[in-house]
Amino acid sequence: MAAVAASAGRLWRLRAARAEGHWRRLCGAGPLRGFLQPASAGGDAAPRRQVAHFTFQPDPEPQEYGQTQKMNLFQAITSALDNSLAKDPTAVIFGEDVAFGGVFRCTVGLRDKYGKDRVFNTPLCEQGIVGFGIGIAVTGATAIAEIQFADYIYPAFDQIVNEAAKYRYRSGDLFNCGSLTIRSPWGCVGHGALYHSQSPEAFFAHCPGIKVVVPRSPFQAKGLLLSCIEDKNPCIFFEPKILYRAAVEQVPVEPYNIPLSQAEVIQEGSDVTLVAWGTQVHVIREVASMAQEKLGVSCEVIDLRTILPWDVDTVCK
Amino acid sequence: MRKMLAAAVSRLLPRVAPKPASRMLGAAGTFADKATFDIKPCELYRLEEGPPATAVLTREEGLKYYKTMQMVRRMELKADQLYKQKFIRGFCHLCDGQEACCVGLEAGINPTDHVITSYRAHGLCYTRGVSIRSILTELTGRRGGCAKGKGGSMHMYGKYFYGGNGIVGSQTPIGGQVAEAFNMASLWKLPCVFICENNLYGMGTATDRAAASTEYYKRGHFIPGLKVDGMDVLCVREATKFAADHCRSGKGPIVMELHTYRYHGHSMSDPGVSYRTREEIQAVRSKSDPIMLLKDRMLAGKLASADELKDIDADVKKEIEEAAQFAITDPEPALEEIAHHIYKDNPPFEVRGANPWIKFKSIS
Repeated sequence: MAAVAASAGRLWRLRAARAEGHWRRLCGAGPLRGFLQPASAGGDAAPRRQVAHFTFQPDPEPQEYGQTQKMNLFQAITSALDNSLAKDPTAVIFGEDVAFGGVFRCTVGLRDKYGKDRVFNTPLCEQGIVGFGIGIAVTGATAIAEIQFADYIYPAFDQIVNEAAKYRYRSGDLFNCGSLTIRSPWGCVGHGALYHSQSPEAFFAHCPGIKVVVPRSPFQAKGLLLSCIEDKNPCIFFEPKILYRAAVEQVPVEPYNIPLSQAEVIQEGSDVTLVAWGTQVHVIREVASMAQEKLGVSCEVIDLRTILPWDVDTVCK
Repeated sequence: MRKMLAAAVSRLLPRVAPKPASRMLGAAGTFADKATFDIKPCELYRLEEGPPATAVLTREEGLKYYKTMQMVRRMELKADQLYKQKFIRGFCHLCDGQEACCVGLEAGINPTDHVITSYRAHGLCYTRGVSIRSILTELTGRRGGCAKGKGGSMHMYGKYFYGGNGIVGSQTPIGGQVAEAFNMASLWKLPCVFICENNLYGMGTATDRAAASTEYYKRGHFIPGLKVDGMDVLCVREATKFAADHCRSGKGPIVMELHTYRYHGHSMSDPGVSYRTREEIQAVRSKSDPIMLLKDRMLAGKLASADELKDIDADVKKEIEEAAQFAITDPEPALEEIAHHIYKDNPPFEVRGANPWIKFKSIS
């Protein structure tokens, strides 16, 4: 497992070194070219299919939270988890392969620091992970469950929708699993194919009782994840995996919170509103500037941040 | 298949005579303080030794178990009546016939142990300490209910009692996830007793038509198991004590299969006779009714008199009537409250009702 992670890491570093946040057209790789070309194209100068690219746009360094450090997305997540485990003695992190640091390095160092009773692996069973998380949360502990890829969240769907979301309501507020947070790598990376690329937030978006959050950057991720962990309702936190290494920002070292259910207007405009979340925010930002430049259209760009319950007022205003 | 079912039912019928193995006369000479009875030995799986083959029943315990079982029985019958009178709507799964399971279980554990169960939960809810009045009022969906009238039959909660769950198997975590729960419990040596109240039918399907192996106490595979006579409250109590000790001593989880029977159908919409015969139900009722078994034992062991037990019956009946009266006259929770407690610490928001023009406010 470690070997796979290491080679995946190397692949990422290569990409990052070459790309600096841009995705290059996969023109260099010989056999892959055949895959990407539409069948109709000949070997000539017919338009080659390109992987959509985006540029990660970091936010300016935050001033109000104290000392900051350069972190990428997975380091920001680790920092948030570290803060949580330090502050809250009942907090535990569990999931597949989290003990050695996780397949995306989000939990590196935490087991050594906090012990094997607080950071531990579970068997390979998502419904078991979430079911177990609900149980721990009901007893009062802060449960931070990891689903290794959002694509695997479906076996846990029954647990999330039928149990976690409804626990408080059906017991008339006698019991609840509000201290449960489920975090999961989310979204496409280009080579993930069917089962390492999905963005399932829409399946959960109509389930009252849970909260669904998708950050766009390391600074946003740490603040939002801390808010999810401290929120008294079960939360699902999707982490855009394509940004784990590609997104680098100055992120405060100390804990801080970004409120849930609040959208952020990244750019004001007057003609049309563009709403996005996660990776797509950066694509939309580019689109907005292209629209301004080429079409003279003034776009308002809003990062929804929390999908459920979403900030109706900001979007509709 | 019918033969197998007949064999299963015949296993329920008692082979042990109610005569006590020994008894001690009390000071007054009228009633014994306690008596020792032989109980059916449990079948063991992956265990060197099992619960004892005899149980001591004191007069006090006997009266308590008798009263509790009668309360559960009468409560379930009252619920049946209220359902047919349409005071209780929705779903209602009754556990009459299975009283020995919930009373025996409670007798074998501490009040501070944690219990979670399936939808056939009324009996266990009572033994865990929720009052009859709260339960019946919850069934009729009124304010005085233990879940404020919002949970109904399948969502009753109490201290150290986590329901009452509607999704089939959801208490295990949960369902088909039994295998994973067994795995995790065993892997991490969690002190968990997995109990299967085997009433021979899964809704309308007989166990041998649904399960490749009906020896459920062995289905834990790497987890030890016990097969217990679930119609005998003493057998259940001793087995539960044994299982609880097993867990408390750090040996990890254990599976307990209680062989029992339900007189009603799966739920109130199931007559209960389309997949089994009335003769079968009658046979179990006349030969291994749990309350009858306890009563016979107590009389044979001179722990109580028939009149005393009749008085208890009358008390129970009165209490249930009063509770039922409260349950049907208590006002319903205000409609405005229907959407509360969806979230916690959230600003109030609107929830859509049955059509887009009906809105409810949800506050945490």
